[in-house]
Amino acid sequence: MNTRKITLLGPEGTNLTLLTIFLILNFVSWLTLFTLSGGLSFNLQNSVFRQISFSILAVLLFFAITYVSLDQIYKYTFIFYGVISILLILLFATEPKEGVRRWFDLGVVDFQPSEYIKIGLVLFISRCITERYNKIYIGAISIIPIALVFFQPDLGTTTLLIVITLSMFIVSDIKTRNILSIALLGGVSFFGLLELGFINSYQLNRITSFFESVDFAQSQSRLAISSGGFTGQFFEVDKVNQIFIPVQSTDFIFSAYAYQFGFLGVTILFGLWGFFFYRVARIILTTESDFEKFILAGFSASLIFQIFINISTVIGVIPVTGMPFPLLSLGGSSIVATAVIFGIINRIFIENNVVI
Amino acid sequence: MFYQQKFRILSLFIGFIFFGLLINIYNLQVVNRENAIISVNQQTLDTFYIPAPRGEIYDANNNKLASSSLEPHLFLNLRKVNDENRSQYEQYLKYNFPTLDNEDINELFESSKLLAKIINIQNLNFDNRQSLSGLDAFEIFDYPIRNYEYDNIASHVLGYLGEPSLEDIAIYPTSINTNIVGKSGLERYYQNDLSGEPTQVIFKGSEIEQIVPSTPGKDIKISLDVNLQKIATESLLQGMELANDNFESRDEINKGAIVVLDIETNKVISMVSLPDYNPNDFVDGISKRDFNKLNITGAFNNYPIQGQYPPGSVFKVVAYWLAEQEKIYPEGLSSRSGRIDCKGSLAFGFNDGSQQVYNDWKEGGHGRVNLGASIKESCNVYFWDIALKIWRDFEGTSAESILQQYAKNLGFGSTSSIDLPYEASGVVPDRNLFEEWSISQPERVRPEGWLGGDLMNLIIGQGAITATPIQVANAYRTLISGKISNPFINLNNEQESREVEELDVSEDFISFLLDDLNSVTNEGGTAHASFSVLGKAVKDVGGKTGTAQNSGDKNNTSWFVGVDSITNPRYVIATVVEEGGSGSAIAAPITRRVIQSLRGLELTPVKFGEITE
Repeated sequence: MNTRKITLLGPEGTNLTLLTIFLILNFVSWLTLFTLSGGLSFNLQNSVFRQISFSILAVLLFFAITYVSLDQIYKYTFIFYGVISILLILLFATEPKEGVRRWFDLGVVDFQPSEYIKIGLVLFISRCITERYNKIYIGAISIIPIALVFFQPDLGTTTLLIVITLSMFIVSDIKTRNILSIALLGGVSFFGLLELGFINSYQLNRITSFFESVDFAQSQSRLAISSGGFTGQFFEVDKVNQIFIPVQSTDFIFSAYAYQFGFLGVTILFGLWGFFFYRVARIILTTESDFEKFILAGFSASLIFQIFINISTVIGVIPVTGMPFPLLSLGGSSIVATAVIFGIINRIFIENNVVI
Repeated sequence: MFYQQKFRILSLFIGFIFFGLLINIYNLQVVNRENAIISVNQQTLDTFYIPAPRGEIYDANNNKLASSSLEPHLFLNLRKVNDENRSQYEQYLKYNFPTLDNEDINELFESSKLLAKIINIQNLNFDNRQSLSGLDAFEIFDYPIRNYEYDNIASHVLGYLGEPSLEDIAIYPTSINTNIVGKSGLERYYQNDLSGEPTQVIFKGSEIEQIVPSTPGKDIKISLDVNLQKIATESLLQGMELANDNFESRDEINKGAIVVLDIETNKVISMVSLPDYNPNDFVDGISKRDFNKLNITGAFNNYPIQGQYPPGSVFKVVAYWLAEQEKIYPEGLSSRSGRIDCKGSLAFGFNDGSQQVYNDWKEGGHGRVNLGASIKESCNVYFWDIALKIWRDFEGTSAESILQQYAKNLGFGSTSSIDLPYEASGVVPDRNLFEEWSISQPERVRPEGWLGGDLMNLIIGQGAITATPIQVANAYRTLISGKISNPFINLNNEQESREVEELDVSEDFISFLLDDLNSVTNEGGTAHASFSVLGKAVKDVGGKTGTAQNSGDKNNTSWFVGVDSITNPRYVIATVVEEGGSGSAIAAPITRRVIQSLRGLELTPVKFGEITE
């Protein structure tokens, strides 16, 4: 590993571009939530205050991760993966909330292990591929947490984990057609499970009803996005609150963003994320460590797929899928997990001597 | 091994997908924006409703009872009020409208509506109005004013207006828009006809985008004669005064009712309920204190259709009809002319050897009486004999309830279906009802259940039976006309209301009945003292007195049912005074004064009659 040369923030240094993007995205989330909630007040019921609190926690976490070297990450990958998997098993001993077992109730906040298995899985596969383990074994062990999440049930995260796994395999030395065959096999077994009744029929209903009728939340969110126009409505709070959209502060927050900041704002958001992925891609192509390459590719796949699914849902081109927009949606688990991802990416940047 | 080439291709592929998403969003936000704006505006237009002028209500002689007029009112557009200009508007209102106190003004600004009604500006001159409209958040709209021209007269028939409760909204869903609904009387019963379609003030943001004018409510012409109504109200008040002067009563005697029905059509010519209220007091909202004060006096009860009283001797007409129809007379008699010897009490033995004695109201008895005389003098013993006969012949069989069946045929025990809300049904007791009560309200019945004594009570209108004044009036009207129908008030619905069924009565029976009712007001009859003032006309009117005993320490209920006239029966008048004592003393002279008005005779004050029963 290279030794770092410049330190700007914190004892281990920080990439300024990454930090700036991270902070801007957090700030945008506050602004959007502010227009939705109609104000900031200092209690945890207020969504803006809640989000700001989590953002502060996230930034602290971002810096904290910077202390952890990639060597240490490499060393503890299997332990981390194992611990999160055990937590996923322990979830089945909890009382279901709204029909699913997804959270540990920690009083003030809920802890959602499936947010961290995204990270664990990326690290696990990266190390395994780097060490050139048998790809079939890697796949087999990856399936375990994916299956655990599937039976929570959490179809959205399951899909995300599968996409992460497949993306990382695609950029490895496995033949692309093998991966496609596996994907096909997976698709077939999915419908097999469906037939056997392992999947709640409401999840299927969402898909079938998408083709039959217009989802209310989606049609409302399309209206909100359209009303935003080219330059946005900038804090015309009245109307966006009148276009009633269910879960607008979480899964449908992009509609509120697009309403407030218009097509221009959407383009800027795309630009910010695009620039971020461009910088990540540059490291992927220049770093010499396979471990780093796979980590970056895996995290990128995770973030890109979340953004893709979220926007597609909100603009109504796919059925409603409960997937938050990273760093934009209201929700502590998602922000904290994304902060960990940004923290690890930051560490990789620093170890590659990229500080701006 | 990491494959750079595959990574590049994948990145490009992802780039394309996101470019596609961006194009999609561009289409939404830029290309198709107009359509979306239209649908959004349809979703986000807000409407404020100003009530339409309610339909007016006219009496049978086209006297206007309830009117509606539009008067300009000042409104505050709350969407144009903000923290900065609020104090300016407050100052303006305080300065220009000193009648508004601080609390009123605060309430205006705290309103959650789009527009808040400030004040009637009918009397403001042109310049002042001009200056008002110069202020951005002030709007001027016509607002309907309901006025009840005769104040308290017929208040229970007309009803009053108020803010809808949740139950009201469930029944009249549109009342939530205008926040006004008929709370009682015709205002409620015909709410949908009277209310019309409100003015719609359509807002877009804080600006008024469009005003859709109102459709006024439908006018209603009713069967009431307001002049008779006034005289009837006056007479009832006079009667109550007399009762208060002559009887000891724990509470003031102030509750009573008069119903006048047209015999041929069953139109309600007059319907008085006391105590009453002034519906004008409710137009601008009534204070809780005033409302409660009225409520405690019972002013919101419409006694003609809601007062449930034991009918007493006025109920004897049912047994009278039954006796003639079924040929059931006291033991040993076979026709209406057969006489019993009334000694003032009836003693009879039971199977177990015990004896029961029933005492007539008249000590010493009425002497030898037949069916007609027992109506004229209100002899109880004659009717008890009929009850005993029924009991001995039919006890335990289905025919046991023959008296109740006759009562129900005349409309007792069920609502008359008059076009007014909240009508009560009264009670006609029988063995089955007592069995029900023994489970649901055991304190009301003896453990032995339905006994012969209950039937003897029932036949003279005592015991568990209750009836409303309109039921009693309609029962007499039904017998005299031979037609079963429901009474009604709204003449617009005259056609619909006419579901007439023939009653099985003969011409002979009707003329006997009229003769016997006529004898009540004449020499020797219980109401003669109250009616003799009519002079010659007394020969052409009739009626029946009733004095119903109440449980506890309450005074008797005073009843009289009058018929005008005997030769050409046109009206039935039922009068009740709660705790008014003897029917012949109080209710009879009240009814007499109403008959004087109906016949166009000189009105003489209500004078205390003779105490009978």
